[in-house]
Amino acid sequence: MKALRPERLIAQQVWHTALLNRAVVYLGLFVGLVVVYAVYTGWATFRKQNGLRTTYQQQARHDWLNNPDKHPHRMAHYGHFAFRPKPPLSMFDSGMESFLGSTLFLEAHKQNAVNFSEAGFSTGMLRFGEISLALVLQLLLPLLIFFLGFGSIASERETGTLKIVLSQGISWRQLIVGKSLGLIRLMLTLFIPIMLVAAVLWLTGQAGVVSADQVVRFGLLALAYGLYLSMCCVGAVLVSAVSASANVALVRLIGLWLMFTIVLPRASQALGSALFAAPSKVAFFDRIQDDVLKQGDSHNPNDPHYRALKDSLLAVYRIDSVEQLPFNYSGFIMAEGEKISATLYNRHYDELLAIYDRQNQFSRAMAFLNPFMAIKNLSMALSGTDYASFVDFGRQAEQYRYDLAQTMNELQIRSISNRKPGPADKPAVIDRKHWEDVPEFRYTALDVGPVLACQTISLLAFLFWGLALVYLIRKLSKTLRAV
Amino acid sequence: MILLAVKNFVRSGGVRIGLLFLLVAGLASLLVGHQFLNRQQTAVADARAFQQKDFRRSAAVHSHELGLLLYYLKFSLVNETSPLSGLSIGQRDVNASVQSVTIRALEGQKYDADLTNPTNQLLGNLDFSFVLIYLFPLLIIAFTYNIISEEKESGTWRIVAVQSNNLLRFVGQLFLIRLLTLLGLLLILLALAVPLLGIAPDASFGLFLATSVLYVLFWFGVSVWVASLQQRSSVNAMLLLGIWLGLVVVLPAIVNTYITTRYPVPEALATTLAQRKGYHEKWDMDRTQTMTRFYAHYPQFKHNPVPDSGFSWLWYYAMQQLGDDESATQADELKARLLQREAASRTIARFIPTLHTQLQLNDLARSGLGNQLRFLDYTSRFHEKKRLYFYPKLINNAPVSAERWDAFPVETFTDRAPVGYVGVLAPLLLFILGLAGFGWVNLSRSVYRL
Repeated sequence: MKALRPERLIAQQVWHTALLNRAVVYLGLFVGLVVVYAVYTGWATFRKQNGLRTTYQQQARHDWLNNPDKHPHRMAHYGHFAFRPKPPLSMFDSGMESFLGSTLFLEAHKQNAVNFSEAGFSTGMLRFGEISLALVLQLLLPLLIFFLGFGSIASERETGTLKIVLSQGISWRQLIVGKSLGLIRLMLTLFIPIMLVAAVLWLTGQAGVVSADQVVRFGLLALAYGLYLSMCCVGAVLVSAVSASANVALVRLIGLWLMFTIVLPRASQALGSALFAAPSKVAFFDRIQDDVLKQGDSHNPNDPHYRALKDSLLAVYRIDSVEQLPFNYSGFIMAEGEKISATLYNRHYDELLAIYDRQNQFSRAMAFLNPFMAIKNLSMALSGTDYASFVDFGRQAEQYRYDLAQTMNELQIRSISNRKPGPADKPAVIDRKHWEDVPEFRYTALDVGPVLACQTISLLAFLFWGLALVYLIRKLSKTLRAV
Repeated sequence: MILLAVKNFVRSGGVRIGLLFLLVAGLASLLVGHQFLNRQQTAVADARAFQQKDFRRSAAVHSHELGLLLYYLKFSLVNETSPLSGLSIGQRDVNASVQSVTIRALEGQKYDADLTNPTNQLLGNLDFSFVLIYLFPLLIIAFTYNIISEEKESGTWRIVAVQSNNLLRFVGQLFLIRLLTLLGLLLILLALAVPLLGIAPDASFGLFLATSVLYVLFWFGVSVWVASLQQRSSVNAMLLLGIWLGLVVVLPAIVNTYITTRYPVPEALATTLAQRKGYHEKWDMDRTQTMTRFYAHYPQFKHNPVPDSGFSWLWYYAMQQLGDDESATQADELKARLLQREAASRTIARFIPTLHTQLQLNDLARSGLGNQLRFLDYTSRFHEKKRLYFYPKLINNAPVSAERWDAFPVETFTDRAPVGYVGVLAPLLLFILGLAGFGWVNLSRSVYRL
């Protein structure tokens, strides 16, 4: 093992000096305590929330099946609930979870909001952030790395040892690489145990069966965080190398940390939402209603669209009133109405999502200026706690809602008489066995492929930062001075 | 000498850059607040316009059946946005400021989420309270961490000590220069906010101002205390940044996670399920049972029977009513749970000035959870009022045309819950007195230690 010998020696020196500093040990312990707390709360929340959601999902299904013989349209209004399950990796990175609703009521004619987000019940403390392993890795470890690394070269410059090291034939490149490796080794002593703990959490979250998809997600997460933290190490050494004194290096690194993690994310998002205004809820639904009414108002007996539909039916069947139709006319009309309103809703919803996407583009592109945004977005996406996963849940639930409503309309068309039953007649109901015809709602999480496709920018940003650091090491190796 | 100290402070490049950065961030935050208020206004205007348009249209379509018309009509209610919420947006970007409810069962409508882009909420608002709570302390730290230590390190402290008649007073003046500069910036920002956001210079604003000033003073207290420990500049900086990190990032996140795990709200899910079941199962039950319970709730209608068979709107709305009645226990538990959360947050926040300041600013701006809970309460009263107005008309088969549908303006809820001066200011004052007093005693003992 002759390769990289000087680098390894330098790395060892970084390791030894760091451990001599008692403050470093205390800080490491402090991070350890935060990790323990993050693990406990992550696990407790996951278990509690998913337990609740499963219970209520079953309860809702039970309620649905337990309905007696009914008119199918009553059942379409009885509806069902979709409770959004928390993904296993939400224990690692809670991402947007707290700002996303958990409960969606699915009924005919109406696309409801996903309600009961943690944020809606929060006292305002939520805005300071949440403790999670991802927070430790994204925010606290880089700060610790900067704290360990700010003096790596600048102190040697101040004390004059830098000249001695360089005069002994060590090149700048060897020095930077060696110092970086030393820092990376220090980082790994915290990072590896944290990822091991995360792995245990992740395994417990899956009840024994680990899918290949989840393995890819976890592997990529570990890789991404390893890269991110290594970049922080190299960054710290480079800043230290270009700073005249250790104090200057410290101020610069802390300034960078503050800008990257606190100021820039808010600023870029503020810019995005300032430039692209999203409609208010009332205006959003108002426009949908306008469009639906333009197509036809199924509640209005004189509406041209539905009158034309009726006339064509009468012509085809050669009858003079809808009561003579061989199927239930109002079920037919409702199926048509549901189709129109669902199509229009989806179109408007896509437009709304496009606006949100435009609002988010600055913070997404910010990843090229700010590696913190790259890891934050990528980590959320891989953990399944990002907006794309939420939207996907919404779409599956909407599809389920549409199918449920149309199944009920179909049952009504087939099985309900056109004639209103009189007081002496059997009521217009169908057998309760049909409630089984509607399968239970089951959410299938997105595959990692489409998730990564949404994160192209974050991935490219990682590549960019990796190349930029290599370039800087090469360039600075040639231009740096010892004093 | 003090004049020189002022010159020395103002002329250093870092100070100017820092002040400029804070000024720019502050101005940006005011623009963010301005835009937030504009959007709130738009949302309210949208609601008004929609209600007017939709009531007219629906009344024309369903002109023969009041019960059916009321099935569709959504009565809007606005949670008044205080201009101060432009400074402290708080929970107002999560919770809708406009509620629209039909007179059907309320529990299924009351907690309807607003349309929002959660990325905005995740990354946080760049509002004034952020600039105050996160950024002001950083500048305070940057301006004060080396007040004595740097002079000691460069060897000038002995000269200062010899030349000054009262060294303690001199140190005090050094802090005062920085304090006045930052307070000046704070006041400029708030003074600009008054016309820009249309803030009324009332008691709430006074208290908002006082809280902001005390928060800045708190951080000066911290830095006086740290300076009094007489450590090296780098140690001071680390210590101060550690305190900042603890108070702004780590502790609040821990407390928040504690509150949400300690007080989960499964009642929310239970309420919706109970409400759905409570209403829908009445379709298959004997209607006299439903009506008996309805009359028990509203004895004033008990002499108005519904027909034994066939559809009746009073029966329909009685079924809806029972959906609410049967989920009342869960709904009350939900409310109690949220009040517990609010109370626990407040108690803990008293010991963490950053949290305390944020919660109090939200309170004053009417943008916290307390305001939301009061708005939800008012929504229930509003809904009840509408029910009681329309039930007799349904009973009497009042014609749709008898109602003036233009005469239902969007109502506004104004939160007038009092905010106590003592509760807002006392925790901060105690911290300031403790830290500054302790620091000052320390300093007076050690200031001549050269």
